[in-house]
Amino acid sequence: MNVPQGNLLRKRVVTDLATPLSQALDASVTGYARLEPGDTLLLDAEGVGVITFEDGVPVVAYHSGADSGGADALADIAVAGPSRVALYELDGDALAQLHDADELRVPPGLPAERLAGDPALAERTREAAPASRAAEREREQDGLAAVEQFLDDGDRIADIRERARDQAATRAEEWGFDLPGT
Amino acid sequence: MPAFIPESEANVGMVEVFAVASGKGGTGKTTSTMALGMALADEYDVTVIDADTGMANMLFHAGLADADTSLHDVLAGDAPVEAAVYNRFGMAVVPCGTSLSGFQQAEPDRLRTVVATLAADTDVILLDSPAALGSRSAVLPIVLADSVVVVLQPTIPSLSDGLKVQEYATTYGTDVAGILFNRVTEDEAIDRVATKTEQYFEGETLATVPESDAVRAARRAGEPLLAHAPESTPAAAYREAATRLTVHDRPVDPVADRFRSAVIPDHS
Ligand SMILES: Nc1ncnc2c1ncn2[C@@H]1O[C@H](COP(=O)(O)OP(=O)(O)O)[C@@H](O)[C@H]1O
Ligand SMILES: [Mg+2]
Repeated sequence: MNVPQGNLLRKRVVTDLATPLSQALDASVTGYARLEPGDTLLLDAEGVGVITFEDGVPVVAYHSGADSGGADALADIAVAGPSRVALYELDGDALAQLHDADELRVPPGLPAERLAGDPALAERTREAAPASRAAEREREQDGLAAVEQFLDDGDRIADIRERARDQAATRAEEWGFDLPGT
Repeated sequence: MPAFIPESEANVGMVEVFAVASGKGGTGKTTSTMALGMALADEYDVTVIDADTGMANMLFHAGLADADTSLHDVLAGDAPVEAAVYNRFGMAVVPCGTSLSGFQQAEPDRLRTVVATLAADTDVILLDSPAALGSRSAVLPIVLADSVVVVLQPTIPSLSDGLKVQEYATTYGTDVAGILFNRVTEDEAIDRVATKTEQYFEGETLATVPESDAVRAARRAGEPLLAHAPESTPAAAYREAATRLTVHDRPVDPVADRFRSAVIPDHS
């Protein structure tokens, strides 16, 4: 996925992804957020996530590490955890082509639901979405239904666990821990 | 415990160290640490330690905001462990200060000595742990513990973070004592979510604790939930959770050894 370079609005380390999502919503940002894992050592393995916005409402999501789009990309971003987030402003026309890619689109409230676990922010985002996105809004699962769907994806969860184990082992070495049984 | 072992000796050998952990802040680790501690204190000698030394808040949950000496002083080498132990609510409470300078002067590795020292005198230690896995000091409580209680909110990021906590713990030789859902608002669906979640965790669901005004009121009053609102629904849920925690008998020498030499090489 190629995103044209935008105007940097802000860049910060966040522990809760509700922060950039609500900032984009409150400022009605048209542009995109670039999300990197907080730990640059893991950057190669984890990749970078991108979420685009139209008037503050998320439109598409992509993750470079997994080469995933849409809801899958959100899960990959969620798994990468707390991040360095840069929010860019970009002309709506520059995003138009990207926004036509159906496989990358996400329902308006889904990022808040999946990345922030914040149903109130998700609801606020759905309310801000234009009428043209009513159909997507309808399809969206909220609250625990989204959590159940996540839990039904055994492969993804196995992947999260495996990556965490690798990370834990790599860091043990870095931190000078002797692992049991080694 | 066999009857022929004298009472005093029997007690010396028994300590179980739990880390109360989650990948994310605000899930209710401190609330849970205090509640589980009070529930276990009916049966055991319990010590709770605020090992979340960068974001400490146990002092506010335990009415110890004015405490003179805290874990920070102990970790800085400025006070003996005993000076930071306060007997409150039927437990020994070791609060931690909130100042940045206190955090900066603390030597995180000293936590091991603190735990080993207190272990000699108590049955159960609960370590209120940091909501992070990104640094050596943040994972230390999980490394030192026998097992971890993973506090979860029923959201995707919280579950994903909780899974990471589990994998770090098991990689470092620490068991999973169980999972605890906190701040639950949807009653019907949570049972399905809990059942599905259990498939992926190596411990059972200890309880599902509702989002409740009683919890917030207790925090405002500077009291643990079980002292402030013992009859409330969340308090009952925590008592239930405590009954599901297994407190093992561990002989005293291996215990001391565990903390001396286990995973962390001695730097001193
Ligand atoms: N079940 C609950 N219902 C309502 N509020 C809760 C609940 N559990 C925790 N809280 C509140 O959430 C805040 C964070 O809880 P705390 O235990 O300090 O979390 P942590 O230690 O994980 O950061 C506190 O204000 C606490 O009163
Ligand atoms: Mg806390």
